[in-house]
Amino acid sequence: MILIVCLDDQNGMAFNHRRQSRDRVLIERVEELTAGRKLWMAPYSRKLFSNENVVVSVGYLAEAGPDDYCFAELDDVKPYENQVQKTIVFRWNRRYPCDLRFEFDLSNWRLVASEEFSGSSHEKITMEVYER
Amino acid sequence: MKKRWISELLAMVLALFLLSGCGGEQVSLDTGDGSPQITDTIVSNTQLTTNDPGKNPQSSGEPLEDADVPDAPATTDPEQITSSTTSTAFSMSEVPAYSGAAYVAVNGNVPYFTSDDLTTNSFESYSSLDYLGRCSTAYACVGQDIMPTEERGSIGQVKPTGWHTVKYDCVDGKYLYNRCHLIGYQLTGENANEENLITGTRYLNIDGMLPFENMVADYIQETNNHVLYRVTPIFEGDNLLADGVLMEGYSVEDGGDDICFCVYAYNVQPGVTINYATGDSALDGTAATTGPVTLPTVQNPSENSQTGTSTTQADYVLNNNTKKFHLPSCSSAEDIKASNREDYHGSREDLIDRGYDPCKRCNP
Repeated sequence: MILIVCLDDQNGMAFNHRRQSRDRVLIERVEELTAGRKLWMAPYSRKLFSNENVVVSVGYLAEAGPDDYCFAELDDVKPYENQVQKTIVFRWNRRYPCDLRFEFDLSNWRLVASEEFSGSSHEKITMEVYER
Repeated sequence: MKKRWISELLAMVLALFLLSGCGGEQVSLDTGDGSPQITDTIVSNTQLTTNDPGKNPQSSGEPLEDADVPDAPATTDPEQITSSTTSTAFSMSEVPAYSGAAYVAVNGNVPYFTSDDLTTNSFESYSSLDYLGRCSTAYACVGQDIMPTEERGSIGQVKPTGWHTVKYDCVDGKYLYNRCHLIGYQLTGENANEENLITGTRYLNIDGMLPFENMVADYIQETNNHVLYRVTPIFEGDNLLADGVLMEGYSVEDGGDDICFCVYAYNVQPGVTINYATGDSALDGTAATTGPVTLPTVQNPSENSQTGTSTTQADYVLNNNTKKFHLPSCSSAEDIKASNREDYHGSREDLIDRGYDPCKRCNP
C-alpha cells in the first residue's frame, strides 16, 4: 500500500481519538495524488473527502491492495509497516496535542521527494515522499 | 410591591440552594477577611463570572458524555445528552505528580461542560481578579467572528501574580516565565487583559498550552464551527503562582466529534525548582551546572519577623476567625475584619502552638 499520514513537529498523529489538524488545501492535494486509484480510509476520515475513489472500511489498513493508497489518521500504522511500499508524510510544521505517534523509523527509508506549500490555515505544509 | 419582594426573596433562596448543591470536595481557605474562598477544588460552572450579558456560563445542565470508542470519536448530540455519572467537578486528586509529560488527561478527557453550555453564539468571559490579584476561569465559545484579525499587541505592562523576570540557560528562550494567556491570543484576540494573563513557565506556555490552542484554532478556521473553550488556573491556598491550568475544549456543531479534551497542564519548568507561594525559583540539582544568567529574586521576610524555629519576638496580626497569622505589612492583614483581628507581639512558635497557621502569602 501507499500510506499517507499527517504529522506534527513531534511525529504526532492524533489526540484523544481525534485528528490534530486539518487543511482544505492538503485534502485537495491528496485527492490529486490519488486520482484514479483507490483511496482507503476509516469512517472517521470520510467527511474530509468528496472524491469518488474513496473506499471506507474499519479494516482499511489490512484490506488495501499493494498499489492502493491508505489515508491514516487515528490508527497505529506500525503493525502494517511491512505492507507499506511508499509513505507520503504531510508535516504541519506546528505542534499539537498528541497521544498517538507515527512510529516508523524513516531513517531506514529513502526520501525521494520533498515539497512545501501553503495550506488554507497553515502557513507551510511540507510533503515528503519516502520509499524503501 | 409585596409580591415583588417575595419573588426576589425566593430567587435568592433558590440561588443559594443551587450553589450549595454543586458537587465537589470543597476546601474553604482564608481570604483574609474571614469569608471562604474555594481554590483547591474547581466546581464546574459555579466559579465563573461573565462580562457577556447574553450568556451566563453558570449553567446547571447535564454533563456531556463521550462514549469514546477506541477507533472513532463518539459524537455527543446535544439533543441526546442524558444523565451521566460523569463527575461534574475537577479535583487535584485526579492529577498525578508531574512525571515528564507537559499535560495529562483528566476526567477521561471529557470536559466538564453541560448541555446548558452548548451554544453556537460566540462569546468570551473573564473572571475578575481575586483578593490576591489572581486570575480565575476564562471561558469562551470561540468562533471565527471573535478571532483576531491583527497581529498581537504588547502585553509587557501586565505583571501577573508571582511574576519575576528571570533567565536560565536551561530554558528555551532563557526567560523562565511568560505572560501566559489563559485563552490564547489566536483564539479571542485578547492583548493586555490582566484577567486573561497568568505567570506561567515557558514550558507550560509552549509545551502545555500552545498545542491545544493550535488545534482549536485550526479547527475553527477550517470548519467555521464553534468550540467551547475554558481554561482555569489552579492555585493552591494563597500561592501567587498557579500549579497548573485545567483546559477544556468541545466542538459544538459536531458534538465533540473533532474537538473534545479535558487536560491539566503543569506549570513547571524542567531543571528549575519553583516556589509557588511567591514565584521565586532556583536551578534544581539536575541542571545546577548550567547556572542562571540572572539570579532569581529573593524575597526576604521583614526584619520584624522570624522564620524557622527561632523564638525571637516579633509583631504579628492574627485572624481569630481563620486562625492565620500575618506580618503587619501583609495586605491580607489589612482586610481582616476588626472583630476578627488581634495585634500580637510574641514568638512565632507560640502562635503555632496555639493553633495558628502562618499566612502563605507573607510567610511570617
